[in-house]
Amino acid sequence: MRIACPFCGARDSGEFTYLGDASPKRPDAPIDGGTAVEDQFYDYVYLRDNVAGLTREYWYHGGGCRSWLIAERSTTTHEFKSVTAAPGAGAAKAKQAGER
Amino acid sequence: MKYSIFSLARAALSSHKNWGRAWRDPAPKSHYDVVIIGGGGHGLATAYFLAKEYGIRNIAVLEKGWIGSGNAGRNTTIIRSNYMLPGNTSFYELSMKLWERMEQDLNYNTMVSQRGIINLYHSDAQRDAFARRGNAMRINGIDAELLDATEIRKILPFLNYDNARFPIQGGLMQRRGGTARHDAVVWGYARAADEFGVDIIQNCEVTGFQRTNGRITGVETSRGIIGAGKVGMAVAGSSSRVAAMAGLRLPIESHVLQAFVSEAIKPLIPGVVTFGAGHFYVSQSDKGGLVFGGDLDGYNSYAQRGNMPVMEDVCEGGMAIMPMIGRVRLLRQWGGIMDMSMDGTPIIDKTPVDGLYLNAGWCYGGFKATPASGLVFAHLLARDEPHEEGRRFRLDRFRRGAMIDEKGQGAQPNLH
Amino acid sequence: MPDFVWSSQSPLKKALVPGRHGAGKAAPGVSLSHVSDIALVQVMTRRGRNADVAKAAKKLFGAEPPAALKISSGKVVTLVWSGPDQFLAFSELPQTAPSVEQQEQAFAGSASLSNQSDGRCQIRISGPNARDALAKMTSLDLHDTVFPVGSAATTSIDHTAVNFWREADDASGNPVYVALVFTSFSDTLWHLFVESSLEYGVEVAAIGAGH
Repeated sequence: MRIACPFCGARDSGEFTYLGDASPKRPDAPIDGGTAVEDQFYDYVYLRDNVAGLTREYWYHGGGCRSWLIAERSTTTHEFKSVTAAPGAGAAKAKQAGER
Repeated sequence: MKYSIFSLARAALSSHKNWGRAWRDPAPKSHYDVVIIGGGGHGLATAYFLAKEYGIRNIAVLEKGWIGSGNAGRNTTIIRSNYMLPGNTSFYELSMKLWERMEQDLNYNTMVSQRGIINLYHSDAQRDAFARRGNAMRINGIDAELLDATEIRKILPFLNYDNARFPIQGGLMQRRGGTARHDAVVWGYARAADEFGVDIIQNCEVTGFQRTNGRITGVETSRGIIGAGKVGMAVAGSSSRVAAMAGLRLPIESHVLQAFVSEAIKPLIPGVVTFGAGHFYVSQSDKGGLVFGGDLDGYNSYAQRGNMPVMEDVCEGGMAIMPMIGRVRLLRQWGGIMDMSMDGTPIIDKTPVDGLYLNAGWCYGGFKATPASGLVFAHLLARDEPHEEGRRFRLDRFRRGAMIDEKGQGAQPNLH
Repeated sequence: MPDFVWSSQSPLKKALVPGRHGAGKAAPGVSLSHVSDIALVQVMTRRGRNADVAKAAKKLFGAEPPAALKISSGKVVTLVWSGPDQFLAFSELPQTAPSVEQQEQAFAGSASLSNQSDGRCQIRISGPNARDALAKMTSLDLHDTVFPVGSAATTSIDHTAVNFWREADDASGNPVYVALVFTSFSDTLWHLFVESSLEYGVEVAAIGAGH
């Protein structure tokens, strides 16, 4: 696989580290003013969709520009459909969606 | 037909042209007491033990390709029971004991070879960790020996003992560990199960579940609908896909693990050697090829193939610990899809869906577990309660905080 | 006040053996050199302050911050792109580049600075076979059309993070590449560079001999 980093261009996948599915959102715990209960945290931490097909997932370009990226990739063919910067990567834009 | 010296001699008289088929190729019936999805080692062993130990004979094993075409044909054939945590230790030892009598039980040469497994250590801290693991094994009646560098050198004189980063200080050895012939295990269980009347149905892909009042009553397949009293899943890397057909999400991710075989060379490596610190392990097949591997590629995959960076990493690990491996040519390389669980430990349990039973989460250690997995899963399917040796492999252990995490890695499956 | 002074020395003091190594006696295929005295400051733009940083850089260095995957050159300082909204201000000593203190003042409030002068080691690799030697260890495509003069990349060589760029060709028209590597990894990478170059013949310049 070569991964087209939006900052560096296409690079060998060995420069990147995989985190996993980018879809799950951390539930808001009561201590953070949310209402999430244990079941939602159990889902978030332990259960996976583990999709066979196109997924959105986090990759980290640690062997390059050190940006967090979100890739759309097929788990059945390893083909990348898109690679974009994760919220917060780069300083050009002001505060981005997903940032606190 | 019983295989023996006499059957061999008889077949020799007709130039081995009259061997009968080892198992039938039946058309699926309309209903079975138990349908097992997945014709790998685990599924076939489950059918065998259901028939032999629990007296259930009306069984089908459904395989979407041909039996043994998944991970049973993609592993590196290692058997061992060198685990530390309660739940794992005695389960894998049960498996080892079943390996030791498998050929007699099945009347089949599965080429079980207890040639020993050595886990190398390179630091005081690692020695302490291995001493602890060895002690846990011995407390549970499992053989383990902590060897120092001098003793390792006698067994494995060809290793690089003076690697600056990873000098070999010794190793943890389990002499009863070793290898078995992966295909023969599949064929042996298939033949033995078939003799009990189990229907092995190949080229039969499950595409959905039939449910009545919430309970599973059958499976929809590429060869029609098949009714079932109970359905057991033993589909390894495809666990999440099959479970999703029943509306379940599992604590599992599918990851690709690569394995490698070199050209055949004269006998060199006496047993199995693992260089965990360098992400490399190796043994030598009876045919002469060096069989080796390393870490997961690290990303979710169903593709049964990996990428170059891990190939490079594995080869670098091999060169570091065993420099002369660089003179050997790589013959083949492939990938298998691992059902990586959230604590690195398997799940053998009922599911929240009535009539559906789960055998999954074997990570990259499923082959050695084949016989015990079959026995424990068969017990669950037959009795509706866990086998003594599978009672900790529960699906709800993550919610209860009763994880069995040998590596202490947490819910990051690609790091187990 | 400190009662002693750190004396800096080149991290390649032992690894670098000047002279001709490897194949052949004719002109070397690869030339390797290392300047131990460099000034290097990492400049990281703060959220939404790109315009201020560009203005300050222009005034201080006489060069705009580099575009992505490029270098930009001032009078004595080379600015090397090192990731989104960040660059390295690189110069060789002795020189007349703005001091770290002057840079701190110029970028106050608009960028975060980190002095890496002793944290990185600079290795220059050039010659007709430089690209052949590099092909053994980098996955970058260094073809002229993809990586022309003035290109920059952050990448990994032998599992080690490297800032990599291409300077103007040498007098013979051969490419010149520069690698900045972590000081503590430089010994290993230097050996890798030399080993990879031996088959082409490699000329190693003495430390401080210039390029």
